[in-house]
Amino acid sequence: MENVLSILFCLSLFYVVVTTRVKGYVTVLRVQGLILTVLLMIPFYYHFSFYGIIIPVTLLLVKVFFIPGYINKIIIDLDIKRRIEPTIQQISFLLLVIATMVVIFLASHILSRSTGLDVIPFASGFSAIVIGIFIMMFRKKLILHVAGFLIMENGIFLFSTAVASELPMMIELGVLLDVFVVVFLMGIALNRISDTFKGFEVRHLERLKD
Amino acid sequence: MFEFSIFIIYPLLAAGFCYLAKDLRIQFGASLVIALLHLGLSLFVFLGFYQPHMPTYFAVDSLSKLFLLILSNVYFWVVLVSYSYLKRPVMPKAEGGKKLYFLLLNFYLASNSAAILSNHFGMYWVAAEATTLSVVPLIYFYRNEESLEAMWKYLFLVSVGIAFAFIGILLLALSAKETVPEEKQLFFQLFIRNATLLNPIWLKASFIFIFVGLSTKIGIAPMHSGDVDATSNAPSPVAALMSGSLRITALLGVMRILQIIRPTSSYEFARVILIVGALLSVFVAFVFMFKVNNYKRMLAYSSVEHLGIILLGLAVGGLAFIGAIYHTIYNSITKVVLFLTAGNIHRTYKSREVDRVASVLDRMPKTGWLFVLAFFAISGIPPFGIFFSEIKIFEGILFSDKPYVLAIVMFFLLFIFINMGKIIFAMLYKEGTGQHSREETERFELNHIVVIFLLILLTAIAIASPDILYRNIMNIANDFGVRL
Amino acid sequence: MDIEILQGILSITVILGVAPLFAGFVNKQKAKLTGRTGAPVLQPYYELQKLFRKETINAANSSFVSRVAPVLNLVSLIIAAAMLPVGFARPLISFNGDIILFAYMLGLARFFQILAAMDIGSSFEGMGASREATFALFAEPIFFFTIGSISFISGMTSFYGIYHSIQLDNISYVVFIVICSISVSMLAITECSRMPVDDPNTHLELTMIHEVMILDNSGIDLWLYQYSSYLKLFIYAVLEISFFYPFSAKSYLIGLIIFIVGGIVLTFVLGIVETVTSRYRMKNIPQYLLFATAIGILNLLIYTFTK
Repeated sequence: MENVLSILFCLSLFYVVVTTRVKGYVTVLRVQGLILTVLLMIPFYYHFSFYGIIIPVTLLLVKVFFIPGYINKIIIDLDIKRRIEPTIQQISFLLLVIATMVVIFLASHILSRSTGLDVIPFASGFSAIVIGIFIMMFRKKLILHVAGFLIMENGIFLFSTAVASELPMMIELGVLLDVFVVVFLMGIALNRISDTFKGFEVRHLERLKD
Repeated sequence: MFEFSIFIIYPLLAAGFCYLAKDLRIQFGASLVIALLHLGLSLFVFLGFYQPHMPTYFAVDSLSKLFLLILSNVYFWVVLVSYSYLKRPVMPKAEGGKKLYFLLLNFYLASNSAAILSNHFGMYWVAAEATTLSVVPLIYFYRNEESLEAMWKYLFLVSVGIAFAFIGILLLALSAKETVPEEKQLFFQLFIRNATLLNPIWLKASFIFIFVGLSTKIGIAPMHSGDVDATSNAPSPVAALMSGSLRITALLGVMRILQIIRPTSSYEFARVILIVGALLSVFVAFVFMFKVNNYKRMLAYSSVEHLGIILLGLAVGGLAFIGAIYHTIYNSITKVVLFLTAGNIHRTYKSREVDRVASVLDRMPKTGWLFVLAFFAISGIPPFGIFFSEIKIFEGILFSDKPYVLAIVMFFLLFIFINMGKIIFAMLYKEGTGQHSREETERFELNHIVVIFLLILLTAIAIASPDILYRNIMNIANDFGVRL
Repeated sequence: MDIEILQGILSITVILGVAPLFAGFVNKQKAKLTGRTGAPVLQPYYELQKLFRKETINAANSSFVSRVAPVLNLVSLIIAAAMLPVGFARPLISFNGDIILFAYMLGLARFFQILAAMDIGSSFEGMGASREATFALFAEPIFFFTIGSISFISGMTSFYGIYHSIQLDNISYVVFIVICSISVSMLAITECSRMPVDDPNTHLELTMIHEVMILDNSGIDLWLYQYSSYLKLFIYAVLEISFFYPFSAKSYLIGLIIFIVGGIVLTFVLGIVETVTSRYRMKNIPQYLLFATAIGILNLLIYTFTK
């Protein structure tokens, strides 16, 4: 079952790469949050534990409702143009992403012979991290940098389920809270940036050079 | 629990209190009291009068005792000068920042103490992220365009870096799979004891990720840019706080993973990476010192350089390791001194550009002379402390297995010294265009008293070299397996 | 042995006969969804009948290629259709490795079309031919990655073997098959010149791809081209339906009914897709195809590493 969810996760990553709408990114974030929640609920299918249901529920709330809703609000408030102008050609980007995923999958397969780990969630999480970094590098709008960061965080989450060590509940909640506050601060910063600079692309942030 | 509450819970309560209290003076008073309590208790713990008991996820060992003391010290002096700093007139937009100032400072104290005292990688990570979040709004204090951009870059870069560090922590957990520590979560001591059982591939990968991720926060190459921007655009007490205490908390993370790697076969690999990173940082400072024309940015690059030297000492080991630990103490104090005096200069000249600042010694003689002394201190001129620690580091490198590193480092340091001196003496002695009136002689303020006290403290610790400090540092060296 | 040949002949006859009906159903669905009554379902047959009676005119400076190409086009498609499994009968042409022959028979058909289009000598058709060739380039890997991954997993290399090895028992296999079918449908859309790659109803110069290549033909030539386009659509429809067809069903009648139901569902889906989507810009189409390829590669990666 994890494999199925991981392949859906990777499909959402592909969609992020090809989409030309800003709202598409928000949709992908919601879908990924939903996939991660289902992934966490799998153990509860067998034995229900009231104490342990808190984390998936919090995850659901934060990753599917709060954070994408907040980004939506920013998009509407700042009236960001809905299209994306990419930095490199779309086709080259897609080819790069495909090549990266192939390399990562092959590498995880080779590594899985020495350590026991689930190959598919591991490789999916890691490719989400790398693709999040690519998005941060190759997109001009600042809100998309934030989206790339969140995709990277989702990848880290998937990666942590593959590594299969138990992080205590407090820490998980702390991680979620931190991500949420970071996004919140970024939102406030973006508001100020759009007020001050009348725009929100990377080319506006060029003053502090040496 | 008593200690835990003083270190962490009371500052959180004070933060809440600052949110409710509207008067700046009440906030200042509360923060000062908390800072004093914090300093007092950390001094007691350090001197060994008191053995604290901590709840799970927290523990005290020699390294945390020392770093906690450094944090308390820097924080106390920063809070002390904050009030007079906040009373200065600023642009109307920035008034909003004043309300949040003490709240964020208290929150910073709580989260930084939690990070230093933590015993568990996960708790360390959460606390480190919290320190970032508490510092970021403080950078934006002046509400102008440069500080906005600096805040954005810092927030973004450090968040990505901390996410990388989290990946490193996960990889560390992966390296423990199928061995003893597997189900016991990520406590430091457990990992250190069982270090040889860890899987070397994952351990190396984990080290790289943690190092690269935390290097954004420590402010060393290759990811120093966010940190440099933030430090040069933040208000002076905040910059002093960041340079003095935030960097070494991030350094603590790297030191912990170094402690784990030490007994294993990957130690040489880790050493090489650390040495390369450290040399790269000093190189970056060397290059940029040539063309920097903003004196706060110069001080930020000087931070990069000194953290690089500390890292070099830690990596080389032996006597250099001991010198590096001393260097952390002296570096923190000196940075506070530097940023406070630079803040005075900024207030008078209203600009950070070196070209606009002239004849400081004429207009502000007290600050000018203190600035000269601070410059001597940071460059390693006796009797200030950095001289002694740098001597130890250099001696350690010379007698280690990589003596050529010393030649490289000294070459860079020479030019950094020349450039810094050029800039600072230009600021001090250059004839200005003379439109400043001469009638306002500089008053002797709290700032100056604090700076003088800190300079004396710097000298005193170095010369007196108290036994307690020596024993603590030898304990740390023991934990890290360093042989003299 | 005899039964098999009979079944094979029955399969190919069914395909050849039912192909225009399928296209008629799709057009009817499109009409219904946009609120029109639309042409009757048997309209494609009437069209073909009408074309049969018309006079064939060739362009002045065309060569023997224009006379020969339409026939060769149709013949290649019939050979390809003979390799498809309809129901659980063994197709007429079935041997190990026939998937590759299938792909390149379709390619050969396209080749003749392009050749004939260029032979006419007008820049109009040449433009259509170049576009068709470009998109075919990007579409080829999709087929191999998708069908190839199924054959890799099942170990069989003929259509008959591949489709018979699909057991939809555990959920990850179902997801795998669903994703493969999505990929093949994107391929089908490209090859059959349907929305969102090409609009079969438009005749504006800027936007035609397939229609423009057959613009100058009439009479029997046009009959051949029209019929071959219906046939191609039906070939891909059979491929899609066979993904979900329970080949282990024992009774032929039940299999037939399921096949018909599947066909109707497919026309419904195709009608909805055609009505709802708008055409992509020309320069975005290679990316669309690369996306389908990426899905195919991902499928291959994940499912070879779990076996």
